[in-house]
Amino acid sequence: MLIYILKRLLIAVPLIFGVLTLTFFIIRLAPGDPAAFFIQPGISPNVAEQIRAQYGLNDPLPVQYFKWLANVLQGDFGRSFSRAQQPVFDVIAEALPITVTIAGLTLVANFTFGILIGIISAVRQNSFLDRFLTVTALFFYSMPEFWFALMMIILFALKFPVFPVSGLNEIGAESYGPLGFLLDRFWHLVLPVTVLSINGAAGIARYVRGSMLEVIRQDYIRTARAKGLPEKVVILKHALRNALLPVITLIGSSLPFIFSGALFIEVIFAFPGMGRVTVEAIFARDYPLIIANTFISGSLIVLGNLFADVLYAVADPRIKL
Amino acid sequence: MIETSSDRVSAAFRFAGALLCIVMALSLSSCNRHKGSNGKAGKGSAAMDSTLVIAMLGDADYLNPVIGATVTSSNIFGLIYPSLLQSEFDTTTGLMNYMALEKKLREVTPGQGKKTPQGALAKSWRLSDDHKTLTYILRHDALWDDGKPIISADFKFSYQLYGNPVIASARQQYLAELIGADKGRIDFDKAIETPNDTTLIFRFYKPVPEHLALFHTSLTPLPAHRWKDVKPEEFRHSPLNLDPLGAGPYKLKNWQQQQEIVLVSNRKSNLPKPGNIPAISFKVVPDYTVRLTQLQTRAVDVVENIKPEDFTALLKANHQLEIKTVGLRVYDYVGWANIDQEEYKKNGTFKPHPLFGSARVRLALTTAIDRQAIIDGYLKQYGVVCNNDISPSLKWAYNNRIIPHAFDPSKASALLKAEGWLPGPDGILQKNGKRFSFVLYTNAGNARRNYASVIIQQNLRAIGIDCKLDVQESNVFFENLQARKLDAWMAGWSIGLEIDPLDVWGSDLKKSRFNFAGYRNPRIDELCELAKQKMDPVGAKPYWIEYQEILHRDQPITFLYWIKETQGFSKRIENEDLNISGTFYNVDDWKLRPSANVAQ
Repeated sequence: MLIYILKRLLIAVPLIFGVLTLTFFIIRLAPGDPAAFFIQPGISPNVAEQIRAQYGLNDPLPVQYFKWLANVLQGDFGRSFSRAQQPVFDVIAEALPITVTIAGLTLVANFTFGILIGIISAVRQNSFLDRFLTVTALFFYSMPEFWFALMMIILFALKFPVFPVSGLNEIGAESYGPLGFLLDRFWHLVLPVTVLSINGAAGIARYVRGSMLEVIRQDYIRTARAKGLPEKVVILKHALRNALLPVITLIGSSLPFIFSGALFIEVIFAFPGMGRVTVEAIFARDYPLIIANTFISGSLIVLGNLFADVLYAVADPRIKL
Repeated sequence: MIETSSDRVSAAFRFAGALLCIVMALSLSSCNRHKGSNGKAGKGSAAMDSTLVIAMLGDADYLNPVIGATVTSSNIFGLIYPSLLQSEFDTTTGLMNYMALEKKLREVTPGQGKKTPQGALAKSWRLSDDHKTLTYILRHDALWDDGKPIISADFKFSYQLYGNPVIASARQQYLAELIGADKGRIDFDKAIETPNDTTLIFRFYKPVPEHLALFHTSLTPLPAHRWKDVKPEEFRHSPLNLDPLGAGPYKLKNWQQQQEIVLVSNRKSNLPKPGNIPAISFKVVPDYTVRLTQLQTRAVDVVENIKPEDFTALLKANHQLEIKTVGLRVYDYVGWANIDQEEYKKNGTFKPHPLFGSARVRLALTTAIDRQAIIDGYLKQYGVVCNNDISPSLKWAYNNRIIPHAFDPSKASALLKAEGWLPGPDGILQKNGKRFSFVLYTNAGNARRNYASVIIQQNLRAIGIDCKLDVQESNVFFENLQARKLDAWMAGWSIGLEIDPLDVWGSDLKKSRFNFAGYRNPRIDELCELAKQKMDPVGAKPYWIEYQEILHRDQPITFLYWIKETQGFSKRIENEDLNISGTFYNVDDWKLRPSANVAQ
């Protein structure tokens, strides 16, 4: 398996590199100018030129590419255009933990609720409860997340002011002590994580239901029942564990969706995470930051998929890597 | 086999779970790292009572006056750094006034002049008779926060930074009259002299009107002793940018980038005094709906640029709010290509645009558009019909004899008919086989312009003009505009408080970078030059009156409406005085009522 992982990691290198090269050219060929902000009345026409010279944008595209390549191979992704010329990895180092927190909590919520609803639906197949859960799941599954986020804000922050709407902490939260600070942080994360996970949980619930229905029709489940085992043991120990096999792969493949979901959640809830960094970098035509973000999210997705494949092999002896 | 597989599944989940826990524990702890040490703010509502919270759309770029280019940045560094002069916009005359401790440019109109000159670093100034040498006398008692005196050398040092092309300051235009600037390289040895610590002399290569000389020489200084070892190429990413050393009413307590900037009152400041409110938090809230919600739930105290359509719901939901207006500084317009843009780009020659080349056609388009309907439907009392780009707020120059072109579709039709545009078989006007059909472009994300563009489309359709609408991402839209790819567009300008329209209307299209319409009128060039030569701005009034009449006649573009910017304020704020020069211009004088009193 170790060789398999190494092989996959080696293949990932040219893959990510290809993605970066493509991004490099696409963003430079797209209309828009990183120095556009400095083109306005009252600002000397020289400023935009000086800024472009600072960013090295006056060189021909191939020259820019090779300069960039030389830097990247030395691990230098450059400095951000739009964020006070901070090194791009400093910008990302501040943003990534926030996104990872949201994504991690979302992943946990996704699978906890998804699996729970899936089991109930399967065990009570065709009952009122199953139909109700199915319709509800479909309802949330087909709802645009940005709209759902705004509705949740209106409902739980405005009509019934239970949760805060924006930011990671309350003003003056530093004085609450470490535990209070952490609780305050979690309190701020309830709405965004709910919005992000409800959609995914609905999908996983459908998946688990299908898988579970297949498993509980198997002979060994009948055998388990025939042995006189209690239904709880049959479902949770014998059926569920096997039904969860295909669900494992979802952990890896849902990562890209969670990351892209974090994009708008962070803008709406004013979290300075990777999503917001990416969106703002694109609008500001902040080339180095866009490329570094692509690098980070691309790597995370590749690793996520590899992780899912390895998990699958760990779980199912029929899979040989 | 069953058991083995099940065990493996649970092992896999345990493995995944453990990994997730580690990652999250790491990330949560690193989120905390940025907070930590700043535990000075009070608890809960006590912190709220002493903290004014202002919502911002985006973070400041730099809290450094040399390179901070956004309005947010200058609002904030304006509170941290001292200024040479105090400036104030006089709403009765529309003129800027500049004040040193012992001297004023103009006498203050009674009822105006809320600012005291106490914040000025200059005691007085003297402009030579030839208007080429400006000498400031600085006060003795001004200190940077580290206790070092603020001296004339700080100004010379700072101006060299402003003028350094490697630093690329957005304010280098302010140095355009200094000696050497006409030759492309400012001679700082001659242009700025500092014979002693309290004398600062600026020398210009040409006579400069006093108000302009004061305006251009009062750029914010940086402490030379702190910055002198920073190389120009490292200036923009120097760590000193995150730790500004100022002398103003507030100082930076904490800057969590992309989240919050917290200023606290600077107890040592005598320029003019420590800020009244103990702490001001500028909070980044990028989403408009969320900013509104926060204003309603009192999580923030000030939200700028609230859309008129949201006023009713907002004020109903929270009685402790009020809407305040500032203006008139911003206007929207429909731009028409006066010249054939393709022809100009290809050969550099000027040919009238086939649709909009005639002033009579442009006048017809203006009279066909119901500007009042747009105002009534969207801006309501927060909009005023716009005739040209001199704001009614600049009372000294505004031509109030101009009567706006009224909405009159039949007059528009008659004008177009006289120009040879006649209805074709499909109801659309035609001339020599060419249909009057075009695309009106605007930038995405502006509800007001979207609303206006639909009304314009309907108005034009009613007189037989086919106007299609297209919305482009702002960056793309602006690039297309600069590349002269658009024939008709809707955009807006925010005007400066000193009138200088040559960038927008000058006939030399290479120099006048913002003359997107390609309007060319030698008399306009002449009037702008004549006005610049007047040493007293009010003396230029006749030129600006004529200028406005010409624009009104030629209709190079269709001026739509002036906008009063509308800001949402919590009623717990007292003493606030909003001014055309900025919503936060006297924020150091604001006060907060404790929340208990507001609830009554």
